[in-house]
Amino acid sequence: MRNRPNYLAGLGSLVWLFVVGLPLYVMLIATFQSRTEYAANGPLALPERFTLDNYLNDLDDGFAQYFLNTVVVTVCVVGIVLLLVPPLAYAIVRSDGKATGRVFRLFLLGLAIPSQAVIVPMFYLINEAGLYDNLLGVILPTAAFAMPVCALILSGVMRDITPELYEAMTVDGASPWRIFVQLVLPLSKSGLSTIVVFSSLQAWNGFLFPLVLTQSSENKVITMGLYDFQTEHGVDIPGLLSAVVLSMLPILLVYLFARRALVQGLMGVGGK
Amino acid sequence: MKRHVRLLRTAVVGGASLAMTLALAACGGSGDSAGDGSGEIHVLVYGDATNKVEKQLVDTFNRTSKVKAVLDTIPGADYQSKLQTIISGKQAPDLFFNWGGGSIKPYVDAGLLMPLDDFIAKDPGLKSQFLPSVFNTAVVDGKPYGIPMRGTQPVLLFSNKKALAEAGVTAPRTWDELLAAVKALKAKGVTPIALGGGDKWPTQMWFQYVYDRVAGPDHFQKAVNGDKSVWASADSKRALGMLKELIDAGAFGTNYDSVKFTDGGSPALLATGKAAFELMGSWEYSTLQDAYPDFVKSDLGYGTFPTVEGGKGDPANLAGNTNNFYSVLKSTEHPEAVAEFLKLMYSDEFVKGQLGIGNLPTTANTPKFLDGSASPAYSTYQYDLVKKAPAFQLSWDQAYPPAATTTIHQAVQQFFSGQTGPDAFIAAMQTLPAA
Amino acid sequence: MTTTAVPTVDSAEKSARRGRPGGPVTGVGRPGIAWAAPAAVFFGLFALVPLLLVVVLSFTRWNGLGSPEFAGLDNWSRLLDDPVMVKSLWLSLVFTVLGVVVQTPLSILLGVWAAGRQRNRAVLSAVYFVPLLLSITAVSVLWRAVLDPNFGVPSQAKWLFGDGNLFGTQAGAIGVLVFVSTWQFTPLHTLIYQGAARAVPGVLYEAARIDGAGTVRQFFHITLPQLRNTVVTSTILMVVGGLTTFDTVLILTQGGPGTDTTNSAYYMYQKAFKSFDFGGASAIALLLVLVATLVSLVMVRLTGYDRMRSTMEGV
Repeated sequence: MRNRPNYLAGLGSLVWLFVVGLPLYVMLIATFQSRTEYAANGPLALPERFTLDNYLNDLDDGFAQYFLNTVVVTVCVVGIVLLLVPPLAYAIVRSDGKATGRVFRLFLLGLAIPSQAVIVPMFYLINEAGLYDNLLGVILPTAAFAMPVCALILSGVMRDITPELYEAMTVDGASPWRIFVQLVLPLSKSGLSTIVVFSSLQAWNGFLFPLVLTQSSENKVITMGLYDFQTEHGVDIPGLLSAVVLSMLPILLVYLFARRALVQGLMGVGGK
Repeated sequence: MKRHVRLLRTAVVGGASLAMTLALAACGGSGDSAGDGSGEIHVLVYGDATNKVEKQLVDTFNRTSKVKAVLDTIPGADYQSKLQTIISGKQAPDLFFNWGGGSIKPYVDAGLLMPLDDFIAKDPGLKSQFLPSVFNTAVVDGKPYGIPMRGTQPVLLFSNKKALAEAGVTAPRTWDELLAAVKALKAKGVTPIALGGGDKWPTQMWFQYVYDRVAGPDHFQKAVNGDKSVWASADSKRALGMLKELIDAGAFGTNYDSVKFTDGGSPALLATGKAAFELMGSWEYSTLQDAYPDFVKSDLGYGTFPTVEGGKGDPANLAGNTNNFYSVLKSTEHPEAVAEFLKLMYSDEFVKGQLGIGNLPTTANTPKFLDGSASPAYSTYQYDLVKKAPAFQLSWDQAYPPAATTTIHQAVQQFFSGQTGPDAFIAAMQTLPAA
Repeated sequence: MTTTAVPTVDSAEKSARRGRPGGPVTGVGRPGIAWAAPAAVFFGLFALVPLLLVVVLSFTRWNGLGSPEFAGLDNWSRLLDDPVMVKSLWLSLVFTVLGVVVQTPLSILLGVWAAGRQRNRAVLSAVYFVPLLLSITAVSVLWRAVLDPNFGVPSQAKWLFGDGNLFGTQAGAIGVLVFVSTWQFTPLHTLIYQGAARAVPGVLYEAARIDGAGTVRQFFHITLPQLRNTVVTSTILMVVGGLTTFDTVLILTQGGPGTDTTNSAYYMYQKAFKSFDFGGASAIALLLVLVATLVSLVMVRLTGYDRMRSTMEGV
């Protein structure tokens, strides 16, 4: 009796595998053939003449530079988030001042501000600050918009630290700073890894801020590279799809080597 | 109470230090781009394959000039958006790429651009060395604001000769022949005309030509100048009726709104013989040459748009991008250097470079070098067309100010998909601001 | 609730800040607002200040050249008369609701399924995860190529796609947008549910099994109720994502055919950066914020995020 539904589930899981796998298959095989071949044989046929030219062309086109830029943006965003959010979450959970409560509500409100909504003034401000077409001009707003969710996740984790532990430390006369370093941070490791994963995905995949706030190829990030590729080399679908593959490689590597951390981190986005 | 003051202070100090970090970063940022200030002109161009030539010209210029030119590119479809957002700010270039006409009108109105009369007075070549029909596109309110800086791109009717032969039709010279060809091709199971409707501007090309052939070039000129009544004229309605007839005949198939030129969809249809015609800018040739060289060699045909019986437009009239232009900002600190740079736009080196990558410059010395072009026959054909054209209609979405583009694109798409009728199209066009 | 604690906290904090960790031994070492200040200031500068500017700009006329001019309620009255605006709000709602309705059951089923410890499930789950490794941009670009009517999959599967005019009809274009978001985001929600399903205490299932409940009944009577809170969290993420769908629209449909997929987020972008009507765009932006705030307020009420705060108050 317990087996029948499992067959059903198994079937369903294969259907989903097909849905997930088909475009990935199309993407991969397209990247190994010339455009003429792709247009002639359709998207499902295996390449007749295997080629790596698409990838090499993309790298020639500056994708290496875009990679580097994206890494810079991602590292900086994660850095800012890691620097600012843990103390914030700590204060949200442990402070009893009214002001902290207000700050928390402010961040909750922040959840409801879509980045599109502020893009016009953001452009204005960044331009006035002389940060237009500068990676810093992308990093700062990206970090700011990653903060509400991170604060929410991390404060949720910090709440789970039992009050007894705090009390034990304060009995020893520990300052908030010592409690933070010796108790809170070590016990929020899971939350910290979650916000690292979340904010780095946010930065790695960021689209709107780079779209509006940068222009030159020296400051292009990968998502912009892909977007511009569409209009510049529009005709070249295999080249475009190779660029897509290139854009996911680093995360794929992280996934292969640190799958557990990544998955656990993302599970954390949904709360404990 | 005391505690609050303390908190406030902490917050203020924290905020101030953050602001300072920002300010410092800002200095660092702008320091980079401003350079030493002793002499740089920033040349902003649309980023694509032509940048090769522009780079070469900048190098040539920098070899002799004390003031150095710096080439900045903005890739892709966002050129116009980016330009408008930086042109009045600190990041403004000294001179920039544009399409002339409505594309620079708002900047002229805002007093940002420099009329080029003085430059031309000092060096008459800046005007006399270019084909007048092209040069005039960048004349706004009677003053010249742009120097042609790339190739001309008339819209032509491309065809797949093999597909035509198989259906027993020849390239149509008149509208009726076109309709007949559509019927014959459809019977053969071929999509008569490839259309990248997903991009919207290829759809607009059909309107441009039909309106020109039916109502003549003055019609659109009046509309752009603010006479909204012309959209409701009998000619306008006749043009829409003809388009409707073509669409209803199945000329474009049924899924054109899912096809794009920019992702290679529509040219691929033409090259693989799944479609027989495509109305496209002259760049179609190099696009196809890139992706389907064999097709271009053996089966690619090209010609002008069919004539319309009883229409007011000359069959030799063209539509498309007359050329691209450099316009100069008033704020430039080195007008002399800019003038020197512009002179390169009719130099032999420029012409050879453009021809070498398949562009067709519109300078007086161009014919000398046509044999050295990437495809001499095609270049010569085009040059003659442009030279002889009584009128060269700038693309509608470039003739109107950029703000009108969305409305035009939506109107043409909705008309083609049958979502709206002639009245809605006319009403939409009447909402456009005058250029 | 907390009044009694305040004085001691206060002094502990002061002593801490003076760099004298000793302090009164009986006090509880609580962090002050200063701990939250840097984050608050940073966030304020890059999110709230722009938001205030949006409010200001929504009352001005500005095309990016020169300075904004005061325009009173002009932008707002134009918005109310603008059929595209009303349609765009409606479309935002459609995207959001369809997204939630499609993704939620799918990811619950997949999540619960993946929560099983069997080897084949682990392997398949690893594959399911891949779309999440791609950016929205990459996913959109990929699907645009895959769904090309003449050279993509539709040309090979005419029985399913007909003439492949997916981007030429409203239903088709909305379908594509919803499907593509589902393709990309279901893995995330699956993961969330998988985590939650694994956290359901095993004893509950054992008890049910002793009572003779089958898999289906266990699912509806134990798993689903236990996932209640997760559903809320996951739904919030979907709603926020749905309301602000933008990248996919820009890359896949550009709001077309006509204005048939022009949702508010895209309409705002179009008004700002294509039509250079920054005043009108700001008014839409503000409307977007108001709607999103309203929705998240309701959500926060439902989830008890705010109650979470108050229950911790006295700790």
